[in-house]
Amino acid sequence: MAFTLYSLLQAALLCVNAIAVLHEERFLKNIGWGTDQGIGGFEEEPGIKSQLMNLIRSVRTVMRGKKKN
Amino acid sequence: MHPAGLAAAGTPRQPSKRRVPVSQPGMTDPHQLFDDTSSAQSRGYGAQRAPGGLGYPTASASPQSAFLGDPVSNMAMAYGSSLAAQGKELVDKNIDRFIPVTKLKYYFAVDTMYVGKKLGLLFFPYLHQDWEVQYQQDTPVAPRFDVNAPDLYIPAMAFITYVLVAGLALGTQDRFSPDLLGLQASSALAWLTLEVLAILLSLYLVTVNTDLTTIDLVAFLGYKYVGMIGGVLMGLLFGKVVYYLVLGWCCVSIFVFMIRTLRLKILAEAAAEGIPVRGARNQLRMYLTMAVAAAQPLLMYWLTFHLVR
Repeated sequence: MAFTLYSLLQAALLCVNAIAVLHEERFLKNIGWGTDQGIGGFEEEPGIKSQLMNLIRSVRTVMRGKKKN
Repeated sequence: MHPAGLAAAGTPRQPSKRRVPVSQPGMTDPHQLFDDTSSAQSRGYGAQRAPGGLGYPTASASPQSAFLGDPVSNMAMAYGSSLAAQGKELVDKNIDRFIPVTKLKYYFAVDTMYVGKKLGLLFFPYLHQDWEVQYQQDTPVAPRFDVNAPDLYIPAMAFITYVLVAGLALGTQDRFSPDLLGLQASSALAWLTLEVLAILLSLYLVTVNTDLTTIDLVAFLGYKYVGMIGGVLMGLLFGKVVYYLVLGWCCVSIFVFMIRTLRLKILAEAAAEGIPVRGARNQLRMYLTMAVAAAQPLLMYWLTFHLVR
C-alpha cells in the first residue's frame, strides 16, 4: 500500500501545474475551451463544460497572480 | 518538582514559550539561557529550583539570590510573560481561521445511545424510515438528539480502530513492523482526502446547491471504516469466507446508507417529494450520488483485502 499523503501532495501539485500550463491562445481556443467562448448563457445554470472552463481560468488566474508581484 | 531530583537529572526544563535570551553581564555559559528562564518562572515553581539546582558552576551561586531581585531579571520576567501572553492570544485568535473549533464541537456532541443507534443503522439501514435531519430554528439539531445527523466521533474512532486492527491482522500473520502502522494510517487518510477532494470537485462541476459542508462529507465518508473493521475482525476470527460474507453485507449496507443519506442532501427538491424526478439535472445528480455510494464498497475492499489472507 504505497499510497501515502506525500504522493497525494505530489499528484495535486502536478495537477495544478498541468492546469496552469494550458496556454490560452494556442491551445484552449483551438479546442473551443477559451474563456470568451463559453460565458454567455445566464438564463440557465451553467453546464459541466462551462464550470470546467471557469475552474481552469480561476486556477490559472490564481497561479498567475502569485507570480507577478 | 523535587529540587534534588532535578539536580540529579541535570536537565533544565522549561516551557518553550518562556525562553527569553537575556544577556547577563559576566556570564557566558551556554547553560545560562535555561537558567534565566527558570528564574523567570520561579514564581511558578517557587524559589526552590532556582538556586544552583541545575549543576551550575558555583561561581554564579552567589549572584543567584541577587538574580531574583535584579531589575534586569524582573524586566526579563515581565517581557517573557508578556510575550507568552501575546503568543497565546495570537494562537487563540487565528486557530479559528484554520480549524473551525466551534463547528467541530457540534460533531462531537454525541452520547452512548446515539452511537449505538447509529452503529445499528450502519449495519442495518433497511428498516429506517425517516432519514431527514431535524432542524431547530435553521440550525441542524445536535447528533445527540437526532440519529440522522452526521457526527465525527464514530468516524474518528473507527479510523483509529481500523489502524489498530490492521496492526493486529498483520501481527497474526507475522508481517508486522511498527512503521507499517503509520503507513496504513497515512494510506487510509490519503484515500479519504482524495475522496473528499474528488467529491467536492464533482459537486462544484454539477453545481449542486447543497448544504453539505466539507466536515459533513468527511463524516459520511468515515462511516465505512466501521464496516471495514467488522469485516477484518470476522475474517481474522473465522477465515476468509466469513470475511467476504461480512464485508459483502457491510458493503451493501453502506451503499444503501449513503444513497439514502446523500439523496436528501444532493437531490433536495426531488427527495422531498419522495419520487425520482426524470430531469437531466436530477439525473446527473442521481448518478453522482450513486457514484459516491459505489466508491465506498470499492474502497472498503481495497483497504482491507491485503489484511486477511
